[in-house]
Amino acid sequence: MKTTLFGPLLLITLLTTGCVTSTVDEMVFNEPTAGIGDASVVILGRRHASDYETEPDFIECVGDHISSRDKSISIIDEIDFVNALYPWFEPRTAPLHPGDIDRLLAQEPVAQRLRELKTEYMIWIDGVTVRSDSAGSMTCGIGPGGAGCFGFGTWNNDSNYEAVIWDFTDRAEVGRVNTSASGQSYMPAVVIPIPIIAPVQGTACDGIGDQLLEFLSSEY
Amino acid sequence: MSRSMTSAPEWRLLGMTVLLALLAGCGPTTVKVQGSFPEPLMEPVPLTLGVWYTKDFANHEFFDEAKSRSESGWVVNTGEAQVAMWDTLLAGMFSRLVHMKGKPAPGQMNQVVNAVLIPHVDELQYAIPQHTNVKVYEIWMRYRFELVTNAGKPIAEWTMPAYGKTPTAFLRSDEAAVNLAAVMALRDAGANFATSFTRVPAVAEWLDGRQVGKVPAVARDMPAEVGADSDTVAVPVIVNGDPSAGQAVEEIKEVE
Repeated sequence: MKTTLFGPLLLITLLTTGCVTSTVDEMVFNEPTAGIGDASVVILGRRHASDYETEPDFIECVGDHISSRDKSISIIDEIDFVNALYPWFEPRTAPLHPGDIDRLLAQEPVAQRLRELKTEYMIWIDGVTVRSDSAGSMTCGIGPGGAGCFGFGTWNNDSNYEAVIWDFTDRAEVGRVNTSASGQSYMPAVVIPIPIIAPVQGTACDGIGDQLLEFLSSEY
Repeated sequence: MSRSMTSAPEWRLLGMTVLLALLAGCGPTTVKVQGSFPEPLMEPVPLTLGVWYTKDFANHEFFDEAKSRSESGWVVNTGEAQVAMWDTLLAGMFSRLVHMKGKPAPGQMNQVVNAVLIPHVDELQYAIPQHTNVKVYEIWMRYRFELVTNAGKPIAEWTMPAYGKTPTAFLRSDEAAVNLAAVMALRDAGANFATSFTRVPAVAEWLDGRQVGKVPAVARDMPAEVGADSDTVAVPVIVNGDPSAGQAVEEIKEVE
């Protein structure tokens, strides 16, 4: 039964997935060759731009990507970290440069909390996924006999994210990973709309997650 | 012959319900801001701070008329969330937080504190993607703070902005997004206040001019007679938890 369902499911998945082009640039220094041990990593989104915000679900996706592939890496949840260190990591007060870490650690309660959390690396991700170049039209109707749609729609999604790695011990920037991805999605509709979605944000998440994993993990 | 299953009053009731439901659909979108606010992580300022929330502040709401039929009006009720946030923040930021019984003024009976903070929301603006074509919900507030003595004598007065935004998200309603933007604005207000309080020039000057931990001279300068306070009631003398003990003491004095 499983074998008979697997083929059609795979075919449907392939047919309903759009194509994505992705580029990853990486520049890192001082990689921890033996991994990060029992220390922890926090991944935070930059939220100080006026016209966009790094999506919280993207930050969660990168964290899940890393921790699911190397169980020894402890990733602190972004919201838990920001709440535990309120008000020092709000958009208004978050450190913008590694040199600002000293200013934070000068406050004993903050230094104490960071020691408790064993934060070794802080990764800041800045970027966004935007929709562009949408075209086409679709009409949907409902009547006593039923409902249906007719038409065709297409749109382009572009992702651009940059991750900056800060080493807490050395209070220095030790890496920068940039990923950009773009893909075209389609939605033809003959009675039933069939979305063929390009997983642009997911590809960007995998790209940046793989590079961060190479930096943090001793197994990759 | 068929009998009607619904009587005339029931039809009227049904009609009224449908009409009310339709009218409710035309009303403004109401958002009662709800969220949780963390305690600040900092060395407490060694002051016993009183706080007085005015009625306007504790019940603060922002109302905006609809500009056209396609844009619904909004009522953003932030009062409860404001009080929750400021209570949490001030309790963590100062050695001791006291809720005052009345607005500090000459003759007003109150608890003795180093200073009393009276926050006000002077202005609140919001923007939703339908207004700006930017996929971000925004809330902007301008606070005004009064720092006064027990007797209502001004120590400092200053304004402070707060800003919160949240991006559009799949399956998130306008109401949920405005609520989240308001929570972010409140968090920003807390962060701004916590990091700037001691740097407000008049506050810094006041802190420099007093010995921390002692009641300032201005606060001791209380009138000889204090006025009646509606929140203050006479309390019978209780000795060792026995209400009748007070009376017993009086009786002993009379015998002597």
